[in-house]
Amino acid sequence: MLAKRIQPMVFQARRLYVELMFQVMGRALQAVSEIDSAVQNEADALPDGFLFEMMVMPNGPRLIVEHTGNGRFHYHGDSAPRPVDLSIQFKHIAHAFLVLSFQEKTSEAFANDRMLVDGDISYAIRMTRVLNRLETFILPKLVAKRAVKEYPSNLHLPEKLLSAARIYLKVATNFVETVRA
Amino acid sequence: MTNQYYEFFCPVKVIAGKAALEHIPYELTGLGAKRPMIVTDKGVRAAGLLDPVIAACEESGLEIVSIYDDVPPDSSTDVVRDIAGIYRSEKCDSIIAVGGGSAIDTAKAVNILVSEGGDDIAAYSGAGVIKHPLKPFLVVPTTAGTGSEVTSVAVITDTAKSVKLPFTSSFLLPNAAVIDPRMTLTLPPHITAATAMDAMTHATEAFTCMAKNPLSDAYATAAIKKISTSLLQVMDNPKDSNGRLELAQASTMAGIAFSNSMVGLVHALGHATGAICHLPHGLCMSLYLPYVLEYNLESIRAPLGELLLYLEGPEVYSATPASRRAEASISALRKLRDELHKRCKLPRTLKETAGVEEHQLDTIAELAMDDGAMMFNPKEVTLEDAKAVLKRAWA
Repeated sequence: MLAKRIQPMVFQARRLYVELMFQVMGRALQAVSEIDSAVQNEADALPDGFLFEMMVMPNGPRLIVEHTGNGRFHYHGDSAPRPVDLSIQFKHIAHAFLVLSFQEKTSEAFANDRMLVDGDISYAIRMTRVLNRLETFILPKLVAKRAVKEYPSNLHLPEKLLSAARIYLKVATNFVETVRA
Repeated sequence: MTNQYYEFFCPVKVIAGKAALEHIPYELTGLGAKRPMIVTDKGVRAAGLLDPVIAACEESGLEIVSIYDDVPPDSSTDVVRDIAGIYRSEKCDSIIAVGGGSAIDTAKAVNILVSEGGDDIAAYSGAGVIKHPLKPFLVVPTTAGTGSEVTSVAVITDTAKSVKLPFTSSFLLPNAAVIDPRMTLTLPPHITAATAMDAMTHATEAFTCMAKNPLSDAYATAAIKKISTSLLQVMDNPKDSNGRLELAQASTMAGIAFSNSMVGLVHALGHATGAICHLPHGLCMSLYLPYVLEYNLESIRAPLGELLLYLEGPEVYSATPASRRAEASISALRKLRDELHKRCKLPRTLKETAGVEEHQLDTIAELAMDDGAMMFNPKEVTLEDAKAVLKRAWA
């Protein structure tokens, strides 16, 4: 009985969590593309103006970033200025929650058919590498190990802490600017 | 609670064995089709492989309305549009693909156009674009390797834009795959070897990559056992129709396995090598398989060790300590490649192919990094890793 009563609240909380994580990830993608050369190299192969979307089917939360050139991303929030070029779509909010709460790695989610790719697969692979790189920076090592296939052995603590601090600072600044606007 | 989850789907009716071709009229009639078109290539026709198919249909009063026998090795949007035009003008109502991967992929694409309408196949490119069942479609494979008869994917080159267009939909799957040993009996030794190793790679990667699942495992192990048992027998006695049937079935089973569990680094490197150096796909699979298994070893030790049972049989498996079985599986595959090299000079290294220059390895590695199969490799592959595997495979 109690479980039935609190179920809508649990669903609501899960949805809010996914929305919040998309907002953080979108801003963090923009931030990491401004500070990390490896991410810039990956992103540089995308066409200028390339729009990437991550969303929950059918009309759930979404994040949209644009490659504006020179390996830099710009976060567009949840609305795209034109049709997106690549969309990674979770089949259900529960699947997005599994990935964004680090219970399932992104690669596992693909292997488990939790997500669909609409667009060029090679760009999806590239964006997954960018997301993995971001996660290894911004998550504590123990959590990051659950999020990515293999934690990079050459990422040492000073570089990780410094990069994480710069990314979080940029994310926070972006949040404040959005609120002010 | 475990996070394990999987999906498995294969609605293709498999019609396999002696006189399987003679089931085609019954199957088509059951699907309400009376005016089939055959899509094939010149090699298949020249080898006389169409004759038993046509005879089987005519004997049952089913007229083959049209035969298109000019599918090129790399099929294009123009070819697909032309065939669809013939299908419409001849008022056909079904398709029989007879051939290897290219003929089958072309027929899948033609089926999209003649079922969904229009002349622009590129409009249907991508995943999940097709929303309705297509026209009755049967596939008769003439090689034992690609597994295309049970995969929901087709790749067609857009000649105008010089890009490869992927089509993915469960509606692309044929209604039936007809596996008849007569269709592979005349395959030349080097194609028999390369296509069988393609199937072996499908099954091995299906069993060791990230999306493996209990159902695909069952198909993969059965396929490996059939190939290990029959391949060298067929190489020594090409007219062994029982052995040919075993290889053809293994190819279909490996196709069912990998289309439900995906493949990994061997395919990523193979696709890139094929695109840059134009080497046959099966040859690339055979070439890279042991090197990639060695690279992935510590991530796949348990499943790879299990495969020893299917590669070498119960006696070798039980005599090998559990801790050495994974290495023994790789040795078994190397031994098989050596035997194939003795019999038909199937290359074991990139140098032996004489089709790859050493300076191309970096380009191959870079292209492989963006291949979709990379996602399902059990180990995270960096560019340096890919280059190192290629270097080992060089000579």
